[in-house]
Amino acid sequence: MLRFPYRARPRKMSRQRLPEEGIIVGQEGRLQRLRQLVTGLVRYERIETVYQHCDETRGYAERLIHTAIRNGDQHQHTMEMADYWLNEKDLIYKLFDVLVPRYQNYSSAFTNIYRTPIVYPGRGTEMGILELKGNPWPDVLPKQRDNRYVISNVLLQAARKDYNTSKESRKTKNELNSSSENSET
Amino acid sequence: MASYSRRILPCFWKTTKLLTFEDSARRVPCRYHQELLPTRNYLLPETVEEHRKSELSKHPELPPSITSENVPADFRFVYPEFLPDPQYDRRDSIRERLEREDMYRRRAVIDIPEFYVGSIMAVTVSDQYSPNKENRFVGICIDRGGVGLRAFFILRNVVDGQGIEIMYEMYNPTLQSIQVLKLEKRVDDKLYYLRDAPQEYSTFPFDMDPIPVPKGSTVPVNKMKVQLNPRPWLERWERQDLQGVEDLKLEQRFYDKAAKVAKPWEKYDLMKWYRENTNEEERDSIMQEVHQRKRLTDIEKSKRKTKLAERKR
Amino acid sequence: MNFIKCLSTYATGTRSFSTTSCLHEIRKLARMRVVDNSALGKAARLSGKPARVIHVYNKTSVGTVGDKVLVAIKGQKKRAYIVGVKQNQKPNMPKFDTNNIVLIEDNGSPTGTRITVPVPSALRKKGEFSKILSLATRFV
Repeated sequence: MLRFPYRARPRKMSRQRLPEEGIIVGQEGRLQRLRQLVTGLVRYERIETVYQHCDETRGYAERLIHTAIRNGDQHQHTMEMADYWLNEKDLIYKLFDVLVPRYQNYSSAFTNIYRTPIVYPGRGTEMGILELKGNPWPDVLPKQRDNRYVISNVLLQAARKDYNTSKESRKTKNELNSSSENSET
Repeated sequence: MASYSRRILPCFWKTTKLLTFEDSARRVPCRYHQELLPTRNYLLPETVEEHRKSELSKHPELPPSITSENVPADFRFVYPEFLPDPQYDRRDSIRERLEREDMYRRRAVIDIPEFYVGSIMAVTVSDQYSPNKENRFVGICIDRGGVGLRAFFILRNVVDGQGIEIMYEMYNPTLQSIQVLKLEKRVDDKLYYLRDAPQEYSTFPFDMDPIPVPKGSTVPVNKMKVQLNPRPWLERWERQDLQGVEDLKLEQRFYDKAAKVAKPWEKYDLMKWYRENTNEEERDSIMQEVHQRKRLTDIEKSKRKTKLAERKR
Repeated sequence: MNFIKCLSTYATGTRSFSTTSCLHEIRKLARMRVVDNSALGKAARLSGKPARVIHVYNKTSVGTVGDKVLVAIKGQKKRAYIVGVKQNQKPNMPKFDTNNIVLIEDNGSPTGTRITVPVPSALRKKGEFSKILSLATRFV
């Protein structure tokens, strides 16, 4: 079961230019291109292409890992799929020995997808980044620094606290005064 | 609240219908228009209460002793019609649940046995026009499909040299009995090619005796190969990758064209499979429910049987 | 659409053509199988020129089980009832491998004396077929 929103219909990825096969058109070419992308994703754990291609690749990569987790490496259909989708055959070992143990107990998606800013001037292509979770690379999004204990913040915190306590004490004093006046009258 | 609405809507407070503005304008006196206008499309509280108390909303409490950890692996092939239609824009979880409840209820009344494409079956339907008010047909199951209450199977037979096919809906209330005379599978998913085969391949006698299958044995697969008639055919069988058909004896150009239009990469398209089928987790959960309900109905049936036996004594 | 296509084929002079589309509709020029034991039907079958529908007596001009048709058979015009169709049917209704007809005379009485193949049981709900149904040997 895919744990991310996926498109109801596949995207057409017509006219794929592949280094070995040349230009391939149609369904077959689409799958050839996706195979390359899935292989690259499993090899490098992070790829950067057109956003739409990233999104298409995501489903195939996740389904492949999911089938591998579910059926194991003794299952014929699963091995056929792994053989088809991973062009470089040493990655089949990586799939079953590295990725399956990594994602076995995940309750979320196995991949992350990001949009990258459009480069200007340029053709305005929407580019994206697809990565496997738990990869060794530095994070795509910058991590927020924990600056609670920076000296300026500590001092400001203390000042705020002081101000609040003094305000409250003043308040209680005033109340006491007013109540005593009332009782006198 | 209940008494209030009863007072203003004396004529139809019991109906299960949604009130429309036209209805209210027609039936309710003028002075109540303003009261009804803002709540144009509302449901009466009585109706809601009625639905809440109906048999449909009651889900039978499963006793704690029955837990089905191990659903048989072949269950989804025995009960494929319980799986929902995977087209997500047609899905409705409440309707699917209600349909499944209806199917369990129908199955408690009529025995719908395990069968596959290639099994020989006998079906009795009630027929108001025949003198004995029923109609029996025997034939080989050439296709099976549909989802939920619309599940169907097609039987084919040759009677007096005339090929006849009848499509039956499995949960049609006019069906009186479904009997499997010979339980077996064929190597193909659909046997429509029997239409273009000689008649002896689809001829089965109506007075055929049921062949019992020993309990616990696997369903036998009939690997018979059918020799089709020469062309013209109803379909281009050479393009369909049929396993149960002898060599078609065609010219080479037919096979060339078949190879050209074939899509051998489709079986590797993981997302295509995922979009067109119910995913594994959902399938397992539904099959677990079916397994549980089947055990419950089996227990009820055996109880009823013992009661009957006691009464007879 | 198929029908128009077939007509155009006819105009170009192709002799053997079929109005049997994938829908198997019984329209004009559809070829039918005579299933009674009349001499006319047998002669048509043996000569290899089966009966052809030249008119369907209903509003849609597509015949189904129980409809009356006018057929051209051995150079004659004959009326007939459709007693079995190839088209996909509703649940519980039989679908036959051939389109079957039973020939009738102009006064409504059947030409043959026996129907050799099974007849759909649903025909019995119409009262007008009592003469034909009395010839039937088997119902499905």
